[in-house]
Amino acid sequence: MASADSQISKPSGPFDIVATYNELLHSDPDLTMPIAAIEALVLLLTHSPSSTISETLDLLEKSTTHLKKSIPNPIGLSAGTDLFQRYLITTLQRPGQLGPAGDFNAIRAHLLSNSRLFIRRAKESRDKIAAFGRGFVRDGSTVLTNGGSRVVASLLQQAADEKGGPSAVRFNVIYVLSSPKGDIENPTAEPEGMETVRALRTTGVPVATIPESAVAYSLGKADVVIVGAEGVVENGGIVSRMGTYQIGLLAKAMGKPFYVVAESHKFVRLYPLGQYDLPIEQRVIDFKTQEDVNAAKQQQTTATNTSETPRRLRSEFHPDAVDFTPPHLISALITDSGVLTPSAVSEELIKIWF
Amino acid sequence: MEQSQPQPQPQSQGQKVSLKPAKPAKQQQPPQDKTAASAPADAAGGDKLSPAELKKRAKAEKAARRAREKSERDLAGGAAGGQGPNTLPGKKGSDAGASAGAPAAKAQKAIPRRGSAQPGSQGGVAVVKKKQEDKTVAVFGHLYGQQRRTTIAGAGKEVHPAVLALGLQLRDYVICGSSARCVATLLAFKRVIESYTTPKGTSLSRHLTTHLSHQITYLSTCRPLSISQGNAIRALKLEISSIDPSVPETEAKPSLCEFIDSFIREKITVADQVIAGSAAQKIKDGDVVVTFAGSSIVKQTLLTAFKQGKKFRVSIIDSRPLFEGKNLARTLANAGLEVQYSLISGISHAIKDATKVFLGAHAMTSNGRLYSRVGTALVAMSAKERAGGVEIPVLVCCETVKFTDRVALDSIVVNEIADADELVLTQPPHQLTDLPDPAAAPGPEPKKGSKTDPSESLAALNTTGSPLKDWRDTRNLQLLNLMYDVTPAEYVDMVVTEMGSLPPSAVPIVHRMSTNM
Repeated sequence: MASADSQISKPSGPFDIVATYNELLHSDPDLTMPIAAIEALVLLLTHSPSSTISETLDLLEKSTTHLKKSIPNPIGLSAGTDLFQRYLITTLQRPGQLGPAGDFNAIRAHLLSNSRLFIRRAKESRDKIAAFGRGFVRDGSTVLTNGGSRVVASLLQQAADEKGGPSAVRFNVIYVLSSPKGDIENPTAEPEGMETVRALRTTGVPVATIPESAVAYSLGKADVVIVGAEGVVENGGIVSRMGTYQIGLLAKAMGKPFYVVAESHKFVRLYPLGQYDLPIEQRVIDFKTQEDVNAAKQQQTTATNTSETPRRLRSEFHPDAVDFTPPHLISALITDSGVLTPSAVSEELIKIWF
Repeated sequence: MEQSQPQPQPQSQGQKVSLKPAKPAKQQQPPQDKTAASAPADAAGGDKLSPAELKKRAKAEKAARRAREKSERDLAGGAAGGQGPNTLPGKKGSDAGASAGAPAAKAQKAIPRRGSAQPGSQGGVAVVKKKQEDKTVAVFGHLYGQQRRTTIAGAGKEVHPAVLALGLQLRDYVICGSSARCVATLLAFKRVIESYTTPKGTSLSRHLTTHLSHQITYLSTCRPLSISQGNAIRALKLEISSIDPSVPETEAKPSLCEFIDSFIREKITVADQVIAGSAAQKIKDGDVVVTFAGSSIVKQTLLTAFKQGKKFRVSIIDSRPLFEGKNLARTLANAGLEVQYSLISGISHAIKDATKVFLGAHAMTSNGRLYSRVGTALVAMSAKERAGGVEIPVLVCCETVKFTDRVALDSIVVNEIADADELVLTQPPHQLTDLPDPAAAPGPEPKKGSKTDPSESLAALNTTGSPLKDWRDTRNLQLLNLMYDVTPAEYVDMVVTEMGSLPPSAVPIVHRMSTNM
């Protein structure tokens, strides 16, 4: 899917930001979307010959919009690009050597080195979160989780790891696996999260895997729900893998604590009012009559256009579809800046943005 | 400013006199009732004060007012005899209506009583003076303190004509709405500053604040100041006091006028545009937007969204006695929007096909609650607790100048009581026959939550006009005309401000930031 996107995207000069972004995501499985976006932007700056501030900002702006347009779900990505842009502007506005009056080349060098530092720190934040969140996994408890979040995986891994300290705990995991048949392009692929399941089992943690339809059934046996997030929005809700919202609703109904694990660079400046207020178009609910189905089939067989095929297929069911979990369903957010209540997220965001 | 006031002037004037001595009253004994006789001397002493002292005085006034009302109630209790301290004045023994007595008893329980004061206190409530019966609703007794000014007679000579006129406009709701009142006040103060000359022996930064205080006191007797007015005045006073005394008046005055202009521009005019722009983004094609009463910022939002070519319907909920939604309905309909207008009694019907609720605000309190025109809470609740349906998002459009560090837990402690006559003085339906209008009798009173005895109001039916016309003479009948109510933070999904969209819990953070800057 990603490679298809980079093919159809028109190249923006000699440096293709979209291709770089996708390449980065593919090359490093530990990389999150916002970090990949920031890294791509840093690479763009190193390649670009821009010599003035406004030129740099303009280039950044253009590439960001281009990147957002080319990716089907730019919510997670936009957290990174917005943060980077904001960081650049505040750095440039600061008085002194690195301010608008200073030598631009020095500013650029400083920016690049700092951006790298930022990326390194963002990668380290996962360990920090695991340290914060370990206390939430108690001895003898059962954790229910879903999706392929790397932060959740590292948190559980650390909690289970004997070398992690004397406080290693024994716990069970119920892993909700989304049905693999949703991924049309690659029907033989194993469901997302299988890797984590295997890793946990190797460490000695008993893991049960259940389909999404069995969440309500299994939740009675779970003590705590821990999920990852693609983006944390301004009101403290999360945008996450399709299916998280229903787990949140069920956890609330059953009175189980529902924790979200997310790095603070995933905080997005976005305020959705509900499921259908997200700034992306997802054709999850797609009404069809038999006539439409036949027409689609015919079009599919006749279509030789490569760009048309993946779009059609995706409309069946998007494997990357997301939903919005409102803040009142979330007990706490475990981030690298501490354990926050949903209402504290807006405070953190305001701190970054003003 | 108060010396030359004629003592027997009824109602509001009398009220004002008894307010002034309140400051020294605090230093002595709050519950002890101050007689009006000592007013002139005290008022003279309390004239030249720094802002800090003024604030202290305002606080003391409030305390004294409360004490006075309390003692009044105690007084009444004493008159009725030892065993029945809670009955209202004018009620003898068993005659006392249970309906009026009950809330009084409740209020008395809430406030610890002190020893009874001596008689002779000026009637804190004008209504009581003529009749024997207390026409105040006991639970809201603390809100009646300041009777609204009826005329400009007796206003201090320091009060600028522009402020005099503004006061009357505020009182008559000619200028209504938190932002409009704030802007009008600032513009009037600009004229005050323009025509101001520093007296000899003082500096501008010291004397102008006192001079403005006179204007502010006058304005607050016309109608209690809004939160936005208070915030604007605070900012202005801070600016005045930060002027270096060595700066000549000719330089200081233009700079203050410039400050007022930029305050209006930044905090209200441009802020409104930003809010309207970002709130309009939340309106999607096919939406049915419900709004309550007539908020200028909501109007701007809806018009902005309409200009962007969005296709949506607007459902305006309105209520008596101000009918602020009528103007909004007309403006929107003239602009070409599809508008449905209904009264709050039809809320359950109007909310049925709604998809979003947009509300204006009088203020946002620090616990995230919305303080707005009475009825707003009902609209928000209807949207969030819609039976069997998905809850509808409730959005509040509010400039940060309306944020306050106060905390509101209910709409009783902080509120504003308007003249109860506003509930009565509606044009009766024109009738050709002599028959009384059957709808008029039970009509107005249940809406505002006033307590009334059906038999009494029925008896009043044969009088011409509104059956409630003689409510002051009708025993056991009290009218309550509240201005505001408080919407819990749980009913608000989003607060749209010029600094971005926030959850209600972020209000104190933004307030802190916007005042520190």
